[in-house]
Amino acid sequence: MSAPGFEPIAGRYVRFEIEGEPCRVYFEEAGQGIPLVCLHTAGADGRQFRHLMLDEAITSHYRVLAFDLPWHGKSYPPEGAFDREYRLTTDLYVASVRAFCAALELQGPVVMGCSIGGRIVLQLAARHGGEFRALIGLEAADFQQPWYDTAWLNRPDVHGGEVCAALVSGLVAPQSPRQFRDETLWQYKQGGPGIFKGDLHFYRVDGDLRGKLTGIDTRRCPLYLLTGEYDFSCTPEDTLRTAASIPGSQVTVMKEVGHFPMSENPAQFRRYILPVLDEIRAGASGQTP
Amino acid sequence: MNQNTGVTGVDAAALLRRALASAAAAGMTQRAPYLSARVVVGVDEAMTLVQFHEGRLELRERVPLLCPWDFAIRGGAAAWLAYWAPVPEPGSHDLFALSKRGLMSFEGDLRPFMAHLQFFKDLLALPRGERRA
Repeated sequence: MSAPGFEPIAGRYVRFEIEGEPCRVYFEEAGQGIPLVCLHTAGADGRQFRHLMLDEAITSHYRVLAFDLPWHGKSYPPEGAFDREYRLTTDLYVASVRAFCAALELQGPVVMGCSIGGRIVLQLAARHGGEFRALIGLEAADFQQPWYDTAWLNRPDVHGGEVCAALVSGLVAPQSPRQFRDETLWQYKQGGPGIFKGDLHFYRVDGDLRGKLTGIDTRRCPLYLLTGEYDFSCTPEDTLRTAASIPGSQVTVMKEVGHFPMSENPAQFRRYILPVLDEIRAGASGQTP
Repeated sequence: MNQNTGVTGVDAAALLRRALASAAAAGMTQRAPYLSARVVVGVDEAMTLVQFHEGRLELRERVPLLCPWDFAIRGGAAAWLAYWAPVPEPGSHDLFALSKRGLMSFEGDLRPFMAHLQFFKDLLALPRGERRA
C-alpha cells in the first residue's frame, strides 16, 4: 500500500524478553543494507532519528532502526510493572539493546546512541564489541559532572513534562532551527512521569564508566565519538577525555549543535555523520563481526 | 561610573531592566498566570526586584531593606552580557551552562523558578533581542 504522502518510515511492534521480562517494543525503520540501530536520549524516544530515516544517502546503504525503550514513546512498561519505580541500569540497558538486535536477527549491526545511548555504546564496546560492526557514541563520555538535582524531574508540585523540557532546552544550540528544537523538546513534554529521572539513574548513579573501559579493541570494532560544541552536559572535553583512554577511538567535535544533533539540526549533523557511515561501509566488506 | 559598565561598555543591569519592562508591557507574563513570587536578579552588585503576582510583573530598581524574596538569580555583568550575545558562545548560551561554570547562582526557594523554568529562561534572555535590535 502506498500513497503520495507516505514517508518511507515504517513502524511496528516486536515482542521479546529483557532480563526474563516479556516486553512489547515499538520500533521504526527505513532503508536497506547494514543494520544501524539508533538509541534515543534519556526521557525521549526513537522519533529523534526520523531525519536519518528520510535521508536516502543513508537509507540506500543502511537499514536504520530506532526502538523506544520500554516505558518510553510507544513502548509500554512491561506487563505488571506500572507501579514499580523505573530505574535504568547498565545491565538492563545492555540487555535491552542486545535483546532488540537478537529479536530482529540483525547480523553485525552498527549501534549509534546519543547521551545515555552514547554512554551505553561505550559499555557495549568494552564488553560486547565483537557483536557489532562499529559503534557510534553521540554526546558520549565515561562520566560527566551533574548540573541539577534530578529530584526536580518528578514531584507533584512541578509539572514533569514542562520542567524536563525546560531543563534540556539549554542543551540545544542557538543555531538549531526552531521547528526541530520544538520537536526535540516536545518529546520531553510527552514523557511518562519519572521516566527521564529513571533514565538518569543510569547516567548519574549506576553508569560511571571511568576506569572501566579497558580492553576496547577498536581494530575489531571501530568506535566513533561525536559531540556538539554547545553540549554543556556532556562537554567536548568530557568526550575528548574519554577518547584519550580508548586507543583508536575517533573523535569529532561538531560545530553549531548541542546535545541532540540528529533531531535539533539534522542538516548540520548530516555533515558529520555521513563521512562516518561511509567509512564504516567502506570497511565493512573486509570485516566479519 | 556605573559598576555594571563591565568589559564591553554596556550597562548590563539597565539592559535587563529595559527588557523586563518591555516584557511587562507586552504582557509576556500571561504565560505564567499562576506565578506569584518575589525574585531578585543580580548583575554584579546591582539587584533588581521583580515581583510577580497572578500574571502581572512589577519592577523595582532596588531591593528595599529587609525585603523578603523567594529566590535570587545572580551573575556578573560579563556573564550576563555573554548570555545576551546575539549568538552566544558555547558555555554562555544557557543559565545552567553558566551555573555549571560557576558564573551564575540560584538561591532561595527554587520551586516557583523550576515550575516556570522555560518562562524564566525566556524572560531573562530578552536582552538578547534588544542587543540584536
